[in-house]
Amino acid sequence: MWAASLSTHQQFLNPNPFKNDQNFNFKNPIWWRKQNSVSARCCLKKTEESKNHYELLGVSVDASAQEIKNAYRKLQKKYHPDIAGEKGHESTLMLNKAYKVLVREDLRREYDKSIGRVRVGIQSNTFRSKWREPLRPQALFVDENACVGCWKCVHYAGNTFTMDETCGSARVKTQYGDDDTKIEISVESCPVNCIHWVDSKELAVLEYLIQPQPNVGYGIYGQGWERPTNVFMAAKSFNKHLEQQEESKQRQGKSKDEEETPAQAEAREHAYKELQTGGFARIWSWMKRSTGQ
Amino acid sequence: MAEPAPAYTVASDSEATLEEKSSSHLPEIAIGIDIGTSQCSVAVWNGSEVELIRNTRNQKLMRSYVTFKDEIPAGGVSNQLAHEYEMLSGAAVFNIKRLVGRVDTDPVVHASKSLPFLVQTLNIGVRPFIAALVKNMWRSTTPEEVLAIFLIELRTMAELKLKRPVRTVVLTIPVAFSRFQLTRIERACAMAGLQVLRLMPEPTAVALLYAQQQQQNVHENMGSGSEKIAVIFNMGAGFCDVAVSATAGGVSQIKALAGTALGGEDILLNTMRHLLPDMDSHFSTRGMEEITRMGLLRVATQDAIHKLSSLSNVQIDVDLGNGRKICKVLDREEFEEVNREIFEKCESLIRQCLHDAKVDTGDISDVILVGGCSNIPKLQKIVKGVCKKDPYTGINPLEAAVRGAALEGAVASGVNDPFGSLDLLTIQATPLSIGVRADGNSFIPIIHQNTTVPVRRDMIFTTVHDNQAEAMIIVYEGDDKVVEKNHLLGYFKITGIPPAPKGVPEINVCLDIDAANVLRVFAGVIMPGAQNPAAPVMEVRMPTVDDGHGWCAEALNRSYGSTLDLVTVQKKGAR
Repeated sequence: MWAASLSTHQQFLNPNPFKNDQNFNFKNPIWWRKQNSVSARCCLKKTEESKNHYELLGVSVDASAQEIKNAYRKLQKKYHPDIAGEKGHESTLMLNKAYKVLVREDLRREYDKSIGRVRVGIQSNTFRSKWREPLRPQALFVDENACVGCWKCVHYAGNTFTMDETCGSARVKTQYGDDDTKIEISVESCPVNCIHWVDSKELAVLEYLIQPQPNVGYGIYGQGWERPTNVFMAAKSFNKHLEQQEESKQRQGKSKDEEETPAQAEAREHAYKELQTGGFARIWSWMKRSTGQ
Repeated sequence: MAEPAPAYTVASDSEATLEEKSSSHLPEIAIGIDIGTSQCSVAVWNGSEVELIRNTRNQKLMRSYVTFKDEIPAGGVSNQLAHEYEMLSGAAVFNIKRLVGRVDTDPVVHASKSLPFLVQTLNIGVRPFIAALVKNMWRSTTPEEVLAIFLIELRTMAELKLKRPVRTVVLTIPVAFSRFQLTRIERACAMAGLQVLRLMPEPTAVALLYAQQQQQNVHENMGSGSEKIAVIFNMGAGFCDVAVSATAGGVSQIKALAGTALGGEDILLNTMRHLLPDMDSHFSTRGMEEITRMGLLRVATQDAIHKLSSLSNVQIDVDLGNGRKICKVLDREEFEEVNREIFEKCESLIRQCLHDAKVDTGDISDVILVGGCSNIPKLQKIVKGVCKKDPYTGINPLEAAVRGAALEGAVASGVNDPFGSLDLLTIQATPLSIGVRADGNSFIPIIHQNTTVPVRRDMIFTTVHDNQAEAMIIVYEGDDKVVEKNHLLGYFKITGIPPAPKGVPEINVCLDIDAANVLRVFAGVIMPGAQNPAAPVMEVRMPTVDDGHGWCAEALNRSYGSTLDLVTVQKKGAR
């Protein structure tokens, strides 16, 4: 499954493999107008369905609006039909769709919910691991409360794990920074089994919660740093709390929504409909099958 | 577009050299052409920068007219006017951009009836009859023909200068043009042997030029690389356009567009009518003498308006002959009052565009004023008042659009510049919504106004009658709820819908616009639970309508009533 997602990724990254030798042809409107058929236009649907908007733009789920804009512009400069030729049409359609959703805060919130992601609202810091590759469904997470600081994981997979000397515990710096065998060995090697495979969607919350928080103390007593003792339980309640927040936010947002002009509301609704591509894509997926694409 | 069948050929050895060209794999750089209502120009990327091409008389900006006084029609590129009045003698056809692709019920066509050449209307929704006065005879022509003659002259001029055949062009167009009007422009280009690479709304061409300037500033460490919001206001002789663009890193993203067919010509006509209130009845007979008189008044008024840009009042003295004399001092306030409605419309257009782009005046980085009317003090004041900013001065208001078009021509032809001057991209948006007639007589937009292109959207409709076997898809462009007030683009029937109660068959209508602004409509029927469409899916390239199809919708309604109607489907998923 990972291999499949990788290959579609590459397919997208390389929409115009013939660019160098057939450049002129792709730019020639007569040429592509003749070549164009429904099948050619709908063959990339699979890619569209298998990638989420964040992966498409190559940004993290916590990316700021500015980061999203920059990523969109950068990708457009590569894939826009003005530059990539007619092959860029499908890629640009996907980019435009993703951008439209992510750049509008309300649409993005709904989209996040639809893909089961929660934005924690914290920017990158030392406790966050980075993804060098496209997101995978599972991620590595070190329960730093349990870690004894044995250095073994860092020894076996030094590109993935790092040792935080001040906390005395290991941490993931890059997800899948080493090959799968090395990572497996390092996970096995942990004497206290504190390296966990977690759902990628939950990673952000876990990494957020594992940060030591300053304790509010009285005088010299009770000060210092503290972490939840069971980070997984804490994550559960944190998620619940976030959901409630989200709901109340939406309730507040309602009054604002009503100020939208009917046309805007309609456009928003329409964009939401588009997210539910399933039913709408039936005709196009049929075309794909019938034309053998 | 059909295969270009050049009705006019340029005598050159272009055939041979073109083959050489394509075999060497070098992309032909598309030239940029700006055919204005009153002036036109050509620009091209010369390898290091954009250069305006001059004609044999060393002019960069040429008058847009075609005169039929000689055996072979001649345009403003090659022809030398003996004097201004020659253009107003009735033998020359001009302001053609205002007439192209319009039917004779259009108010803009009616406003053109006071021009010296003949614009005859029957008011039934067909193309107007246009003719030039040659040796006291009205010789008929069409807007496409006039444009084509003109384009051939521009093309010949460019080929002479560039010493290579010119085949592809990027043309600037007004925002207010309908898709049908765009096909007329493409037709004229085909007649002139030119292939349209892109049709660019004028303010978006200016936005691209601005993006290049900003990019250069960043390279020279003069400006910050952050996103800049620019408002572009363009008013020429025939049209008024506004665009809001977000620019960063050489990418100009169009956030909103607005435009209308108002321009310097309307200001001129208003002022002429103010000076001579019974102008229309005065010139209705259109004899040689009347045409001469109208020319006199036109030139005097034009001159006065130009002078009012720098003076606070101007003395007008015209002897119209026949005992009619106009002696009047016109001051600026009076002029502004006469044209108040036009200026108000301009202001509301800018406000609307800012609103559509969801941009506050505080976010605006630059306000760019271009076009022939940008010198009018009142307009400068309005723009400044709305945007709370002094106009940007780094752009030549008369050359901006054509320069932007030449940049896009180079970018879309695949030209690279080692210094990064072509590291640019324009991301366009749809100026008008596109949708179909459904739910009775309503316009249901599928692609909304100001949607980034390329775009593909679909929507599901269903039948209104039990066992309805056919459905009519009527595609419109515009933003009015009432379907007839929008531009009709085309229509076709979906047949072979299996017998079913009303509301059951799913009729999927999908619209696709590519970067070259080509609109395709796909439509197919799916029965619930079925995997495959019940009948072959249709693909129709729009617009399909031709001249005189303004009354087609009415005829369809008369023939079919509501028997082939559609309604929208309320999807459970959508709240």
